[in-house]
Amino acid sequence: MTGTRGNLLPVYVLADESGSMGPYIQDLNRGLAALHEALLGEPMAAAKVRFSILGFADDVHERLRLADLRRENELPALYARGRTSYHAAFTTLHRRIPQDVQALKAEGYAVHRPAVFFLSDGQPTDESWLDAYELLVDRNRTPGAPNIIACGIGQVEAATIVQVATQQEYGFVAMGGVDLGAAIAQFCTALTKSIVESGRALGSAQPELVVQQPAGFRMAIDVV
Amino acid sequence: MWSEVTADPFPAEDWPSADEARHAATNGTVYRAESVHAPRRARKLIWEAREIGVPITDFEPKPADSASYRPDSIADGWSTDHFTVRVASVRGYTHRFRGTPRQDDVAVSHHQPTGAVVFAVADGVSAAPHSHIGATSACRAAVTQILADLTQGTPVDWQNVVRQTAWQLIEQARAVLGVPALDPEEAEREVATTLVAGLVLPTRSGPMAKMIQVGDSSAWILHGRSYRCLLDAKFSADDEVFSSAVTALPRVPHVTPRGGPLDPGGVLLVGTDGFGDPLGDGSGDVGTYFAAALRRPSPPLSFAYDLDFSRETFDDDRTLLAIWPRDDAEQPR
Repeated sequence: MTGTRGNLLPVYVLADESGSMGPYIQDLNRGLAALHEALLGEPMAAAKVRFSILGFADDVHERLRLADLRRENELPALYARGRTSYHAAFTTLHRRIPQDVQALKAEGYAVHRPAVFFLSDGQPTDESWLDAYELLVDRNRTPGAPNIIACGIGQVEAATIVQVATQQEYGFVAMGGVDLGAAIAQFCTALTKSIVESGRALGSAQPELVVQQPAGFRMAIDVV
Repeated sequence: MWSEVTADPFPAEDWPSADEARHAATNGTVYRAESVHAPRRARKLIWEAREIGVPITDFEPKPADSASYRPDSIADGWSTDHFTVRVASVRGYTHRFRGTPRQDDVAVSHHQPTGAVVFAVADGVSAAPHSHIGATSACRAAVTQILADLTQGTPVDWQNVVRQTAWQLIEQARAVLGVPALDPEEAEREVATTLVAGLVLPTRSGPMAKMIQVGDSSAWILHGRSYRCLLDAKFSADDEVFSSAVTALPRVPHVTPRGGPLDPGGVLLVGTDGFGDPLGDGSGDVGTYFAAALRRPSPPLSFAYDLDFSRETFDDDRTLLAIWPRDDAEQPR
């Protein structure tokens, strides 16, 4: 390690923009705005995070890339559109993450393993997503292969969420009967806490990813 | 004008009860002393740390929330016939922001019969709630044990230093929790800490350094602008991304002392990763700054001020011990 400019944790929100998210997409946008506001009150944790938002449906729309949230006036909005292609989502991340890690390292930063917060309300509409997923999380084949925290709401099956999460304790599904708008708000609250706590841990003696379970969610592995 | 108090000017019924205070804390109510005493216009509070590169947001720290007094910073310095010592331990900016205590600590002592300077540097593990007490106990226990071996005239039993320090830590955790017995796993959860402990000793062939390491605090020899790391580094430069696992006391790993000569013109540095991380391999701005600042011993408070530098994303506690061999020292016969 050279004399570095600082420690950074790249965080990606990989959010489902499929048509079925239509009634709830404003809840997600409001939740992300609240996350932004909360991080402005935690300037030291925010300094250690570079934040990206990717919306996936038939394809992936990159809404925000490697942003320092202290310097953003507001976050871009997500929009409901199309189907639910997990393949597009994981293929895009596989292309993007190694580039991002290299770019940050070239700026002189020490880069910690990226964290992806995945939110979906439906089963994938494509068959071939598992190959793209396995390539993405394979630490031998993908430089900077991320930790993925997966949260499922609505129609998504717990078994799918277990497959997407890189560790069992990173997979959560909303409990039955929970209002989806409220579940999305809880997802954003847990995301905020996870980012703040991970940011605090970064640069300490024990840098680690801290994952907060969203209220109203249970571990997907317990549901399968 | 002060006068004898005949009636309690602050009767207990005027104070919030513990329940009210807890309720206020969770509801955002603030009991504002400053509404009575403070000037109406907010003062600009500034810490005015030395900036290296992009600084951390400037703010006035919160007091450390600890049952016993834990100063934000400590500084010390002195010389023996053979060595000049400077040491400081400063609270990290995250702990200042959150109002949590400094979890680093240091102890350094002179053993007059041999001329040795004996030291220990510890970094309490953040997840352990009383790790600041663990760090203090570990430093003092390690230095005491090394001094005892030197006084006996026997070679320092480094494995025993680790064993005795771990035992002291478990005892300390037991006292903190007020329980009659505690197993090492429970003690680890309460007071876990890393440790580097060692000594520099004047010998006929010049000063020699020797030390052991449990965890990721480290040591370097600074020559001119070049830093040579003496102990295992926290990260491997070959890693694509960083991750680390820390071994900490009261676990008792097998330790192998590392040592070597401390040449005139060299400075021995022992520090926690709060210093080691921004230093990296010493080739960046932080390494350049300290190579200049440590060319010769500075006043102890300047040394502490230098260590408290502000650099974005580096907000952990920092502890640094520097030992210069004295040019004018007589060699032992």
